[in-house]
Amino acid sequence: MDDLHFESALAHRSTPDNLSLSMREISERGMIDLRGSTTDRKFMAAVKSVLGVDLPKAPRTSASWGEYKALWLSTDQWLILCTRSKTTALLAEINAALGKIHSLAVDVSDMRAIIRLEGDGVRETLMKGSSLDLISDDYKQGTVRRMRFAEIAALLHVVEENCFDIYVFRSYADYTWEFLVKAARQGSEVKLFKK
Amino acid sequence: MSKKPYRLSTGGTRIDRAARMTFTFDGKDVSGFAGDTLASAVLASGQKLFGRSFKYHRARGLVGLGSEEMNALIGVGSGNRHEPNLRATQIEIFDGLTAESQNRWPSLKYDIGAANTLVSRFLPAGFYYKTFMWPRSFWKHVYEPFIRKAAGLGKAPEGRDPDTYEHMHIHADVIIIGGGIAGLAAAEAAASTGVRVLLCDENPVLGGIADLTAGMIDGACVEDYAIAAAARLATLPNVHILTRTTVVGHYHQNYLMAFERVGDHDPAILASGAPKHRLWKIRADKVVVATGALERPIAFANNDRPNIMLASAVRGMIGRYGVTPGSTGVVFTNNDDAYLTAFVLKKAGVNVQVVDSRSRSDGALVKRAIADGIDVSLGSVISAVEGNLGVTAVKIAAYRKGQGRVITEKRVECDFVAMSGGWNPALHLWCHNGGKIQFDDSLQSFRPKSHTDDIVAIGGANGTMSVEATLIEAQELGKKAKKFKVEEPDRGALESIWFAPATGKYNEGNKHFIDFQNDVTAADLELAQREGYESVEHTKRYTTFGMATDQGKTSNLNGLGVISEATGKTIPEIGVTTFRPPYTPYSFGAIAGAHTGALFLPVRRTPIYNWHADHGAVFEPVGQWRRTYVYPQASEDKHQAIVREILSVRNKVGMLDASTLGKIEIKGPDAAEFLDRMYTNTFSTLKIGKCRYGLMMNELGFLSDDGVTVRLGEDHFIMHTTSGGADRIAAWLEEWLQTEWTHYKVFVTPVTEQWAQFAVAGPRARDVLSKLAPDFDISNEAFPHMSFKQGHIGGYPVRVYRISFSGELSYEVATPANFGQGLWNAIMEAGDEFGISAYGTEALHVLRAEKGYIVVGDESDGTVTPIDVGMEGMVSKKKTDFIGKRSLEQSFLKGPNRKQLVGLLTEDPTEVLPDGAYAVAAVKDKPPMEMIGQVTSTYMSPTLGRSIAMALIQNGRARMGETISFPLEGGKVMKATITDTVFYDKEGARLHG
Repeated sequence: MDDLHFESALAHRSTPDNLSLSMREISERGMIDLRGSTTDRKFMAAVKSVLGVDLPKAPRTSASWGEYKALWLSTDQWLILCTRSKTTALLAEINAALGKIHSLAVDVSDMRAIIRLEGDGVRETLMKGSSLDLISDDYKQGTVRRMRFAEIAALLHVVEENCFDIYVFRSYADYTWEFLVKAARQGSEVKLFKK
Repeated sequence: MSKKPYRLSTGGTRIDRAARMTFTFDGKDVSGFAGDTLASAVLASGQKLFGRSFKYHRARGLVGLGSEEMNALIGVGSGNRHEPNLRATQIEIFDGLTAESQNRWPSLKYDIGAANTLVSRFLPAGFYYKTFMWPRSFWKHVYEPFIRKAAGLGKAPEGRDPDTYEHMHIHADVIIIGGGIAGLAAAEAAASTGVRVLLCDENPVLGGIADLTAGMIDGACVEDYAIAAAARLATLPNVHILTRTTVVGHYHQNYLMAFERVGDHDPAILASGAPKHRLWKIRADKVVVATGALERPIAFANNDRPNIMLASAVRGMIGRYGVTPGSTGVVFTNNDDAYLTAFVLKKAGVNVQVVDSRSRSDGALVKRAIADGIDVSLGSVISAVEGNLGVTAVKIAAYRKGQGRVITEKRVECDFVAMSGGWNPALHLWCHNGGKIQFDDSLQSFRPKSHTDDIVAIGGANGTMSVEATLIEAQELGKKAKKFKVEEPDRGALESIWFAPATGKYNEGNKHFIDFQNDVTAADLELAQREGYESVEHTKRYTTFGMATDQGKTSNLNGLGVISEATGKTIPEIGVTTFRPPYTPYSFGAIAGAHTGALFLPVRRTPIYNWHADHGAVFEPVGQWRRTYVYPQASEDKHQAIVREILSVRNKVGMLDASTLGKIEIKGPDAAEFLDRMYTNTFSTLKIGKCRYGLMMNELGFLSDDGVTVRLGEDHFIMHTTSGGADRIAAWLEEWLQTEWTHYKVFVTPVTEQWAQFAVAGPRARDVLSKLAPDFDISNEAFPHMSFKQGHIGGYPVRVYRISFSGELSYEVATPANFGQGLWNAIMEAGDEFGISAYGTEALHVLRAEKGYIVVGDESDGTVTPIDVGMEGMVSKKKTDFIGKRSLEQSFLKGPNRKQLVGLLTEDPTEVLPDGAYAVAAVKDKPPMEMIGQVTSTYMSPTLGRSIAMALIQNGRARMGETISFPLEGGKVMKATITDTVFYDKEGARLHG
């Protein structure tokens, strides 16, 4: 496997030096799309037995345990995050624990590109492409939100106060990158309410 | 140029006399001070002329002080940075600014188009409608180009705009529109409750017209109050202030848009990386309209001459910029407010007298003027203006309200006029989303009445003209009212004057302008009434009154007043025309925001995109995807490349990037039954590890998608959809599961983008893959057509489907997207010795057409059933139900004369039928001819060495061997014989090779 050619969606892009915040692709992350019913106790228990934490039931939240994170995507869908190299093993563990329980777990590690934005003004920069009120208290650490960003679908994860991960479908990675390079350009910073 | 001292030796709150700046206007150097507007600096230089009018090319000067300016429209910048139609009163000067006047040729002073004014009596309202009717063909080639050249405003910029623009979103509890004393006081009141307050003002500094307003607040003049309030607000963490930002529109649910001029006033800001303009998309719980009021002109004879300005504008020019329009002025008013201008002029040492149309006023300001020794002519109007490029004198005539003719008049030499016909609340934003308004007799104008949104109007925008009442209204935004001690002069009542009578016969030789920007006169409006345009909306369209870039800011009420006097109806009976966004025009750049160039549309790239681009791919859009159409090599044209790619697949091996194909994982105990309902054919009988082609209909029985579905496990499938259908079909499956068949235990997860997927097709396909050491048996026996394997190829994890859309031995190889480029490279390298060639979508389409394979969307158009395309065998007779089944029983879908898919071979094998060409029952000399069908796919087949086509033809399958005709443009008729749709390898032997 070591000699395989691995090329993430934004491998050919370099970060320009005129940005007001730090911006990079996260390519070392594994992702599993998990579907199941929260009212199915066996399903919830089986997943917990592997992840070590309950799947979040509340909309727009996430849960984490050690290196695993579970992002709420919809009432019966989660995105499980782990280290890329451990995805196959984790998926096998989940499937083994789930057995015949009605569910669907799929390795989607390559389906989305992840861009990490970090620094002062990250929320305002994203508000150039999103109608969400990202400077409000609703967007605290751990918040997950699917949104329309620029002109595409995206998933937002508040990693820390000034650190956001943006997930977009892989084919839109270049578009998203170009939009962010423009939006985060030095000199174009916007401060809202003196934050 | 005059040597007169237009710039006063002192004064000017906005300018910094220590910072001199030079810019060019119409190629001439003009100097001004930091803080000057283009209007103040040019006026200070002694130039009164700023532009030529729209229709008559009359010389025009400044009228207003801010965004209400309608005459002095200026083009700024040059080449690709040129921006036309900016108001001189809003352009802030900087060193190196270049500006030019508009709508004049060859120069502002000598304008050929001004001849229009000589023939102006022949250019009445509706002139164009009436005159340029015949001959019809002249409109396009003669009249319209001529009119377009003669009329109009600025020029469009040349070339691509090098500046950047952006959008920005903001949410606020309260947005306050307008930073005058009303807005400032409201912002402080609202902010004191702790909510988020957004304060927007179109000017560079807050304060509105506080500096032009008489009175004291808590012992300070109104202007000082405003400065202090603005400073306090600037420190509050819950207040966001946007200056140079015009709220251009108010929409449903208190959604607003605002246009911020970020870098227009200072090139250094642009150079630092800032966008030129920013469009704010604002969502607010509450909207406060504090947009103030706009002073209105008075309709008197030749009231459009340069240096006839609004009284507030004259006051502002002196107070803000230390610039006076002249040395002797006449203030013409119907209200007390304009007397303030007389005081300011007198204080600045300018000769001034007042002409007041009212016969009396008890207001404090009038009394003061008389006490100060200012010459006040009550019961008088200006009946004539002398001068063309400026004012040299006016005539003052005695007047009683309603008087139509001038009896006596006296001539007074002067070089400017300051006029005030009263103030109109700026209602635009109130009305954009349906706010109701009412006529106010004391204002002689409309003011807000009611609104369905959470919106209030305060101060001048609400028709509240006193400072004290304005502050009281603003306090409503806070929890408890703050008490202000306000002193302001008592005002006498305003008296409307919609038309000041002129010398001589009614209107002769004179023009009373109502809408300056569109050159609409009182006479035009009266003519429209005589010609029956009774509705004010009709009058607007017939005369163009209230249109153009100023949207009737100053003209609206005066026009209604004229119509009222012409028809005998009251103004409320006439009503107003609709206020539409934007409040002032804003740039296309701001509207586009960041979405230009590479960001114009989202473009989807497959994992192999960069390789395609590096290998000369010509891309074609497929939805938002860019797929390779063909890869021409050095010496090839596109056609030659397509032929090479096709023959490579037929004779050797080719590889296609099919990553865009929709892929959906479907799992659950009811998955097989669910698929049986979604597809026309049966999937519950499919064996694990096998592939089956499926057809999908919508409820109407029409083809909606197709593709190969594979059974991965007992309750686990992966479905392929068309590239364009990927999202639609995933949503379609979810919709049925969530809304109709909620009892089904099935999960559906779209995974299109997880996989890079390639078709490796051609007689040598197995040789290529074998060379890459698959860890599964790839032999024909172990891995036959329509089966599936999972394993590794060249070390890469793969799912391999032995399916074919080319009719050749073919494998679709899928690997996780980030391995896509690696596997692609490995296959290309392994295939080299077998003559592998990458092929694009055009080769793909020819290959499939040679085999008669349909493309949903080519052979079908939303009105075509599976039976129409000859796939009756794929529509299950056994299944109890599936989507579209019942619709296929409808008489018209079973009836005779349905169009059916057939093959076509042209008589001349070198001729290719045009796509979409219509077949007719019989060729006639000219249409109409009875049409019997149309071509759906048509190509030159290099495999067969002749053209092929498919078509939907009435009763096509019963007409095999018949020759039908396709009349084409230019009288040409092509003939073709109806055949089977499979042109190549009818037995399908190659698939199984």
